[in-house]
Amino acid sequence: MATQIPSFPASVVTESREIDERLERIWETPPGIVGQLSTVDHKIIGKRYLVTAFLFFILGGLEAAVMRAQLARPEQHLLSPEAYNQLFTMHGTTMIFLFAAPILSGFSNYMWPLLIGSRDMAFPKLNAVSYWLFLAAGTFIYGGALTGHAPDGGWFNYTPLTGPQYSPGLNIDIYALGLVLLGISTTVGAINFIVTIIKLRAPGMSINRLPIFVWSTMTISMSIIFAIPALTVALAFLFLERRFGFHFFDPGAGGSPLLWQHLFWIFGHPWVYIVVLPSIGMASDVIPQFCRRPLAGYAFVAMATVATGVLGFGVWVHHMFATGIPPISATFFGAAGMLISIPSGVSVFAWLATIYYGKPVFRTPFLFMAGFIALFVIGGVNGVMTAVVPFDWQLTDTYFIVAHIHYVLIGMNVFPVIGAFYYWLPKMTGRLLNERLGKWNFWLMFIGVNVGFFPMHILGLLGMPRRIYTYPAGIGWDTSNLIVSLGAYLFAIGVLLFIINVVISLRSGQPAGDNPWDASTLEWSTSSPPPSYNFAVIPTIGSRDPLWEGRLFGKMKSVLSRGPLLAEGRQTAGTSMLDAEPQFILGMPSDTLWPLIAAASLSALFVGLLLSAWSLVAVGGVTTFVSVAGWLWPRAEMARTESLDGGRSSGWWGTVCLIATEAAFFAYLLTSYFYLASRSTFAWPPAGPPSLRLVVPNTLILLASSGTMIWADRGIRSGSRARLRAGLLLTFLLGVVFLAIQAIEYRSKGTVPGDNAYSSLFFTITGFHGAHVAVGLLMIAVTSVRAWLGHFSPEKRFAVTNVALYWHFVDAVWLFVFTALYLVPRAW
Amino acid sequence: MTQMSTTRLGTVSLLLISLGCAGAPSFMAPHGAPADTEASLGWGVTIVAIVITLLVFGLLLLGLLRRRDYDTTPKHASNRSIVWIMVGGVLLPAVVLVVVTGFTMRTLHVVAEPAGNADVRVQVIAHRWWWEIKYLGATPDLMVVTANEMHIPVHGRVHVELIAADVIHSFWVPQLAGKMDVIPGQHNTTWLRADSAGIYRGECAEFCGAQHAHMDFMVVAEPPAAFANWLSGQRTVAAVPTDSLDLAGYNTFRVSACAACHTIRGADAFGKVGPELTHLASRRTIAAGMLPNTRGNLAAWIVNAQSIKPGVGMPALPMAAAQEQALLAYLSTLR
Repeated sequence: MATQIPSFPASVVTESREIDERLERIWETPPGIVGQLSTVDHKIIGKRYLVTAFLFFILGGLEAAVMRAQLARPEQHLLSPEAYNQLFTMHGTTMIFLFAAPILSGFSNYMWPLLIGSRDMAFPKLNAVSYWLFLAAGTFIYGGALTGHAPDGGWFNYTPLTGPQYSPGLNIDIYALGLVLLGISTTVGAINFIVTIIKLRAPGMSINRLPIFVWSTMTISMSIIFAIPALTVALAFLFLERRFGFHFFDPGAGGSPLLWQHLFWIFGHPWVYIVVLPSIGMASDVIPQFCRRPLAGYAFVAMATVATGVLGFGVWVHHMFATGIPPISATFFGAAGMLISIPSGVSVFAWLATIYYGKPVFRTPFLFMAGFIALFVIGGVNGVMTAVVPFDWQLTDTYFIVAHIHYVLIGMNVFPVIGAFYYWLPKMTGRLLNERLGKWNFWLMFIGVNVGFFPMHILGLLGMPRRIYTYPAGIGWDTSNLIVSLGAYLFAIGVLLFIINVVISLRSGQPAGDNPWDASTLEWSTSSPPPSYNFAVIPTIGSRDPLWEGRLFGKMKSVLSRGPLLAEGRQTAGTSMLDAEPQFILGMPSDTLWPLIAAASLSALFVGLLLSAWSLVAVGGVTTFVSVAGWLWPRAEMARTESLDGGRSSGWWGTVCLIATEAAFFAYLLTSYFYLASRSTFAWPPAGPPSLRLVVPNTLILLASSGTMIWADRGIRSGSRARLRAGLLLTFLLGVVFLAIQAIEYRSKGTVPGDNAYSSLFFTITGFHGAHVAVGLLMIAVTSVRAWLGHFSPEKRFAVTNVALYWHFVDAVWLFVFTALYLVPRAW
Repeated sequence: MTQMSTTRLGTVSLLLISLGCAGAPSFMAPHGAPADTEASLGWGVTIVAIVITLLVFGLLLLGLLRRRDYDTTPKHASNRSIVWIMVGGVLLPAVVLVVVTGFTMRTLHVVAEPAGNADVRVQVIAHRWWWEIKYLGATPDLMVVTANEMHIPVHGRVHVELIAADVIHSFWVPQLAGKMDVIPGQHNTTWLRADSAGIYRGECAEFCGAQHAHMDFMVVAEPPAAFANWLSGQRTVAAVPTDSLDLAGYNTFRVSACAACHTIRGADAFGKVGPELTHLASRRTIAAGMLPNTRGNLAAWIVNAQSIKPGVGMPALPMAAAQEQALLAYLSTLR
């Protein structure tokens, strides 16, 4: 029985040259500089991510090379201690933040629509802004480095060393602001991935047919939503403490240095999985292709991926065993950490079985993935060793940990990434890489990584602490350090060979053809490089391995060359969450400069914050607002969206994700408040619970504004534009009154944020909430203007729904803030 | 620690020594508690780790290298794969997890500081970048303050209170005890016991700024009588010198910048910024374990500490040669 092609209200057609030309006119990025700067094509953005992240990899590698020259022999003076400390901080920050995660975003951005049968990501403009912000954050941090202000507190930047007293100067401010900027980029990128996977899969691409790489990126995108806010809170505290005299980490004023560590590792441990799960996922997808068998235990590997992402949130204390926390809770966290070896073991044995029962074809991508398995095992097993609490008291902060993180990051990130380049670059460029050079490349890197990093285990066992710029001769560390340096250079030569191979391939590589590996997945069904529109017709997916169906099942289950055309302007298919049933025809945005302008404006704001140039902050803030409004202003593409069954729109899902990450942000703020309260040695709050006189009526005002918002939303639903306009106006006014009363309360408090940690938290939490109210007011203002312009009708009211959702969220957060700050202290 | 397991540890430590690392402060070759128990557990998990790694490598190589025909037509995955996943991926890690956690719990019980009074109580104050070490006495005049050199009696249990003067540091004597962070505003303690006389290297293990690399100390474990002797010696007040050169140095110390930062009991010098120097000459090293305490090193240190340990709190103090000779002569009397 032939697979049913789902019914879109669009003509079902067969691929043809005429269709290709028509789609090319719709989707192509116009030539010229403006075209390049305004493109929203996921493939171009993906390539930019890959190139930029790889350049950071080279920079981070050069930093490592200098450090290894310093450490090759004992007591060398090649580098001053300050220079060394800046180098190791920049090396870690670069590799972890500017390479490991963005390179995976590059692959995801480029490959996802091709893997799931879409023509772009859910939010192409968000995709563009995500890249520009990544570029801006990297430039920001390296701009600091080039002007002699490189961060120097290590990549996890413990306070109070990095506080105002011990790190004056801009170095740590650059770290703090640069990572907030990068965090925004990462978060919007993650929201884009989540909504893409919820909405944009081709018909039939049900969740049990997704490549593992998609599962893993989906998992880590969820992790990002909840992990990044912990870092943002920590960085905001740090910046406020450094520049405005707040107290969060200073024990003399009721703060705690451990607050930083908790927040950082609540972010940091999930982050480790964020930078390895997608690359592990790529390995899970590539290994089967070269073993000529589908992945063994697909469902187990998919579940193991999700489980790892979830467990990653329960393990942060793993990094704090030597801080004096009670041993029994340390053991709990240690055991939770070890628990991750079960999903890891599931994946490893799935690969082993795939290889054992398969027919390995030893091409370069496979070599890297097989090498990855070996490194994965070492990096996993030595990680389990550090989860053994009493032994970790010895291992932590030694070179053993340096060995561990490098086996994790190189083994689980770099190796699959290079393998994925060998595998997918031919799809991106249309040209194969050289196999002979590829094998040299692999062996040099594989031998280099082991010669370079295995002896670090020994150095750790021999008592060598990490982060020392030199070490004494004659206490047994000399030989191993020399070997480490030589291995690192061997590894670097391997990387150089890779770069050479890419250059040669781009100039004169063998043409790849559509499917050079005879691989099974959807991306290989389109041409190499893919056309701007990816797929001429929307494919219908019938199995996990559409290109092997004939040989696996004796018949085709998927329909790839016939399907809905969707060519009334930029359009792609929107489908349901689990089974990928047709739900929407999605109008996709045209190229636009707004993302670039928004990113530039926001970056200007951050530069202003760094330099205390308040006029620049103001200009950056206003232009950011203007560009976001301009970006969201309705355009022709909205008209091309057609709902088939009234399912939730992409915008709704995006707003939900935004709210989730914002909710996490406030959760971490309030957690910090309770953490410091529980550790406080003086009365909390010092001057008794804050007065209820103003805040109770103010809370009622804010709640009333949710009521008026509901009234407005219901109004437009029933077709009353007047009610919408009136409701929005009332909501706006109530919000303004709320902020005004809040300001009066601030003035009447008689304390300032710098008084103590309690005061700092009070003003920071209510201040951030107030800022959210202000943002909500701006959104309401824009929506009001649009309401007056008559943009909304009972059918077209996405923007109203989303703004209402956000406003209710801001009100709901206030109830938590009110309870925590005003009511709970009365119960103590 | 039984004799049997000590022998086993000795044997395995030989493995490390054979790697050309004799003399390294390796926690895998401990010389006291609680490092001995930590090392036993450490060796256990290391061996388990190596066995598992080799097992997986074996299966990987088996899969890669086993003979097969060259038919590369795609076929369905084998149904037997599920056995691999269940046995290797679930059962094996689960068993290891339970066993290792069991041993961890047991070890935690053993490494906890025993109840009852310690033989010696020491307060360690971590500064950027040196260690102040205080032996609290029954009365203030019995208190001993020294720096970077912690003397303890062999077989005696030492209770260590950890106080941070500035940023976070970590107190670590690999061969005697695992790390304990020294955190501002937090009262952390640790304990240790040396089972044989000797000098053990101590290090700061938490990055603490420019000279984190040079924040070492030593633990000198000596027979109880020698320790008691040392302690009473440290309690004495420095005598005002009689020799004219020494006296000139004594006066230089008192009137120059030295006394602003350093204490010498008996010399009216009460500075609290740098290490106490009352018994400087009795110490083996200067600059937090960086240099042997020789006259030449001390001279170079006084004149320009910044060139030796850039960023250190000790300023460069250029002085006339005669003045410097007198100062060095006086400092050498501080035994």
